Amino acid sequence: MAKTTQLELVTPARVMVQKAVEMVVAPGVEGLFGVLPRHAPLLAELARGVIEVHENGKIVNRYMIDGGFADVTPEAVTILAERAEDLDAADAADLNTRADAAPEVEADFLRAVAAAL
Amino acid sequence: MPSLKDLKTRINSVKSTQKITSAMKMVAAAKLRRAQEAAEQGRPYADRMRQVMANLVTKSHGVDGPALLVGNGKSDIHLLVVMSADRGLCGGFNGSITRQTRSEVSLLRSEGKTVKLLMVGRKSADALRRELGEVYLDQLEGIQGTSVSFADAVSIGKIIRNGFEAGEFDVCTVIYNKFVSAITQEVTLARLIPAEVGPGEAASANEASTVNYDYEPEEDELLANLLPRNISTQLFNALLESSASELAARMTAMDNATRNAGDLIDRLTLVYNRSRQATITKELIEIISGAEAV
Repeated sequence: MAKTTQLELVTPARVMVQKAVEMVVAPGVEGLFGVLPRHAPLLAELARGVIEVHENGKIVNRYMIDGGFADVTPEAVTILAERAEDLDAADAADLNTRADAAPEVEADFLRAVAAAL
Repeated sequence: MPSLKDLKTRINSVKSTQKITSAMKMVAAAKLRRAQEAAEQGRPYADRMRQVMANLVTKSHGVDGPALLVGNGKSDIHLLVVMSADRGLCGGFNGSITRQTRSEVSLLRSEGKTVKLLMVGRKSADALRRELGEVYLDQLEGIQGTSVSFADAVSIGKIIRNGFEAGEFDVCTVIYNKFVSAITQEVTLARLIPAEVGPGEAASANEASTVNYDYEPEEDELLANLLPRNISTQLFNALLESSASELAARMTAMDNATRNAGDLIDRLTLVYNRSRQATITKELIEIISGAEAV
């Protein structure tokens, strides 16, 4: 039995994450849901929130997305998000400077990311 | 026979043209690398989005699906979104888009359809204004080069959606240059409304949808949110491809121009040297025959 599911986090600009993981927790519009390997096929809309990648029962990566869609199959989780930030690599000061330069919709998201750090 | 001075001026002018074209080539090449990367990295998102769409479409909506997905049942008025460049000097880039648009328009008209155009980029808009200017829905500029952002695609998507909801057109197609390689660009037509699902994708989705998908929230609500995003995504993809193609076309065109200028300089230099030699010989003959006469 497969112990991992293939996570892909894709934004219009690039493929942000592509790796095999044990569990993903995603912020669905109707509440958080976790995805383990061999999850039933699901197409879910995501709200603004944090995607958590679990490994050995611990959170190893966190990504903030500004809403999007998750396409879950038994083997893979594909998350399509228009905007996403890696919370482990992000830096609040940097995010705020970028937010000041960005157009309003994007600035709003970047500030939210900075606040979530 | 041009004088030596004329030739010299001519050579110098070609040389300075060559400097300009080779600088433009270098600039285009540097930008192309970034644009090409952007286009290639943007493809996965568009591909996945199409896959998700294919999954949903094969859930067989028939005619009762959302209008953005299955159309509004008519195909009388066609909107063509034409993506060209704001600037020229990029070889056949704008020309091929313009040509394709013209033939598409006459084809649709011969079928008795009404055509409207949404022009992105100045060049094709200018070229077609005299014959088709009256059917322009809108004309957008400044969405070019390496600065294409998703927000641009969203704003174009909004124009298209508003137009569709207001009943201004029934079918929407994008015409753009797809980036194949630095020397090949392919004029591509992609239908936005009703959503197009390629046969290959539909087939692979068919396999996938033998297992039933769960939807969260309900399917209709999900579709209502997904469809506008799909349109923006496909537009964004087209914009990226188009700007990479533009830079590639410009690079190739400027490379050719630089090479042509080099050839021209060689030829002119040959003529220049020959006529210089001829003048010297003539002067020598004059001196010698003068001396002999004494």
